[in-house]
Amino acid sequence: MLDPFATLGLPRRFALDPKQLEGRHRELSKALHPDRYAAAGSGERRLALSKAIEVNEAHRILRDPVRRAEAVLKLSGLEAEVGETREPKPDGAFLMEVLEAREALDEAKASRSPARISSVVSDARAQHAAALGTLGAAIDGALGHAVDLESLRKAIPLLGRLRYATRLLDEAVAAEDELAGL
Amino acid sequence: MLFEIFDPKARPRPIGIDLGTTNSLVAFVRDGRPVCVTDCNGKALLPSVVYYAEQGVVVGEPAKETAAEHPRETIVSVKRFMGRGADDAETRRLGPYEFAGADEAPNRRVVHFKVNRQVVTPVEVSAEILRALRDLAKDELRAVGPAVITVPAYFDDAQRQATKDAGRLAGLEVLRLLNEPTAAALAYGLDKKQNGLFLVYDLGGGTFDVTVLSLEDGVFQVKSTGGDSALGGDDLDRALAHALLAKAGVDEAEHASPALVRTALDEARRVKHALTDAPSAAFALAEAKGTVTRQEFEALVKPIVDRTAAPVRRALRDAGVSAADLDGVILVGGATRTPLVRRTVRELLGKEPLADIDPDQVVALGAAVQADLLAGEQLANAGEDVLLLDVVPLSLGIETMGGVVDKIIPRNTTIPTGARASFTTYADNQTGFELHVVQGERELAQDCRSLARFTLKGIPPMPAGMARLDVTFKVDADGLLHVHALEGVTRIEQSI
Repeated sequence: MLDPFATLGLPRRFALDPKQLEGRHRELSKALHPDRYAAAGSGERRLALSKAIEVNEAHRILRDPVRRAEAVLKLSGLEAEVGETREPKPDGAFLMEVLEAREALDEAKASRSPARISSVVSDARAQHAAALGTLGAAIDGALGHAVDLESLRKAIPLLGRLRYATRLLDEAVAAEDELAGL
Repeated sequence: MLFEIFDPKARPRPIGIDLGTTNSLVAFVRDGRPVCVTDCNGKALLPSVVYYAEQGVVVGEPAKETAAEHPRETIVSVKRFMGRGADDAETRRLGPYEFAGADEAPNRRVVHFKVNRQVVTPVEVSAEILRALRDLAKDELRAVGPAVITVPAYFDDAQRQATKDAGRLAGLEVLRLLNEPTAAALAYGLDKKQNGLFLVYDLGGGTFDVTVLSLEDGVFQVKSTGGDSALGGDDLDRALAHALLAKAGVDEAEHASPALVRTALDEARRVKHALTDAPSAAFALAEAKGTVTRQEFEALVKPIVDRTAAPVRRALRDAGVSAADLDGVILVGGATRTPLVRRTVRELLGKEPLADIDPDQVVALGAAVQADLLAGEQLANAGEDVLLLDVVPLSLGIETMGGVVDKIIPRNTTIPTGARASFTTYADNQTGFELHVVQGERELAQDCRSLARFTLKGIPPMPAGMARLDVTFKVDADGLLHVHALEGVTRIEQSI
C-alpha cells in the first residue's frame, strides 16, 4: 500500500502539524506538477504525473484523521486487522451511547430548532475531539523506539469510536446546513 | 516597436482567453504585464454572439446588433448550453431558440440549435467565437501561440470537455483549461505579491462561482469552490425583462414573439447598466415608455442576488475558514458592478471587496499570465515560481445498486488526482457490467449529472460476487476525468 508518510517525507505517527503537512505538499507539488513538465518528454511527464497524483493522494489521507490512523496502524503491522469490516464490533456500553446521541440528533432534526441542532453539533464536536485525543495518545504512545504491537492493537477499538464520532458529527453538521438553507 | 510589427517570422505568443457567457476576451503578456487585445474600435470585449446569416457566420458586435431581427439565427449566451443535453431543464428556459428534435439530432446528450436550415452544436458555436478571438489576437501579434482558456470552477466534466473541443475545433492548441476565479486571483496576486487567503466572488453573465484560495510561497491553492452554474447576470436581465413586458402590457404567453423577447432582454440589460450609476432609468418597449427606479430593480433582483449567499457560506465552510480569516475579496464579472451585488458581498463577508482591476478583464488577464508561464515565457519581474493547485469542483462517482452513488473522488480534492474502487457482479452468470459515471453531491444518481454510461461485456459466467471489476478514475490538470475499468479474472478492460 501507499505509505503517505514516506511520500510526503513526514514521521509515521498520528500527531501531525498541519502547517508542516501543507508545506511539504506545496513543496512537492511545485516540483512535480504537470505544469513543470510541459516541455519535458512524454516518459518523464507521465512519471511526474503519477508522482503528483500520489502526493495528492497522500495529502488527502493524512488530512483525514480516520484515514491517517488507518495508515499508521496498517503500516505498523496491523494491516489484516484494520478496516471497518475487520475490526471488532463496538461494546454494548458504547453502542448505547451512540444510540442515544443519534436519537438526540433525530429529535433535534424533527424539531427544526436551530438552537437544538446547534447544541447537538457542539456535543458531537466535543465527542469527536475527545475520540481524536484518546486515539492519538494510544497510537503515538505505542510507537516508541520500537513499535509495541500489543498496545498498538488496543488503539483499534478507539479508531472505531472515532469513526462513529466522525459520522455523527458529519450528519449533525449536514442537518445544521440544511436548516440554514445551505 | 515598429520592427516587430513587420517581422514576418514573429515568434508565436501564448494567449489567454476568457470565453464568457456574455462577452469574451483575449489577452497576452507584453513587457511582463498582461494586456487585453482590443479591436479596431478600441474595445476589448467581444460579445459572445454568433449570427448564422445566409451569407455566412457573423460574430461579435455586428451579430449582437442584429440579434433582435434574427432571434432564431442568432445564438446569444451559448456557454449556458455547453455540455448540456437536449432534454435538460436549462435548454427549455426563456429564449428564442429553435432546437432540433430527435429525428434530426439523435444524440440527446448534446443540444442542437436549428439556425438557417442547418443544425449546430454549442461546441461549434463556441468555436466561432474562439476563431474570432484568435483572429483578433493575430492582428496584434502576427503569430498566435498556444492558449489557456478559462472555465467556471463549477463546470462539470462534460462542460469542460466541450470547451476544450471548441478550442481544438477553432484550431487552437489548448495548453490548459483554467478556472476563472483562479485566473482572477492570479491577475491580482501577481500584481500585489501578497500572501494570504482570498475569496473570489464571480457573478458572470450566466454562471456564479465562488472560490476560496490561498497564496503562499508562490503557490495558489484552491481550498474550496462552489457556486451555481445556472445563475448569473442574465437572470437579472430576465427578471427585469419580465417586469418590462408586464409594464408594457404584453401578455408573455400570448404575444411575446421571439423578437420581442430579445428586445425586452436587451432593453433590460441597458436599463440595468444605467441603474448602476443613476437612481432611475427610462425604458421603451413595444410602444410603451416609462421609468424604472433602482429601488424597484433591486426589489426585483434581490431574490436572485440572495441566492449567491448559500454557495459563499458553503465554500467558506468547505475551506474550514470563516469570513474574518479572509485577507481579500475579489470581484469578477460585469454583474458585480451592480450596487446591490456589492452591498450583498460587503454584508455577507464584512469586507469591502477589491475591484481595482476591471472585473470584465481580470479573468482574461490572469489566463494570459498562466499561458505565459506554461509556455515557459517567464514574466520579466513577477513570475519566478508561480504554481496553481486546483481542485475537483463536484464529487465524481459511480452508480451502484439501488441507484445510490458511490463517491470515488470527493469534491475539493486537489488535482491531478486518481482513485480506484472495486465492484462485483450481483447476479449469477452476469456477463455484462454497466457503469454509470455521475458528478454531483446528491445521494441518488438520478439527482446528479450523468457523465457517461458504458458496459463492460464478455465477462464469463460466474457465481454472483466472483467477478472483480476495478474502476480507476483519473482527473488531469485540466480537471478532465478519465475512467478505466478492468475485470480482474478475464483482464477485459475499457476506457472512456
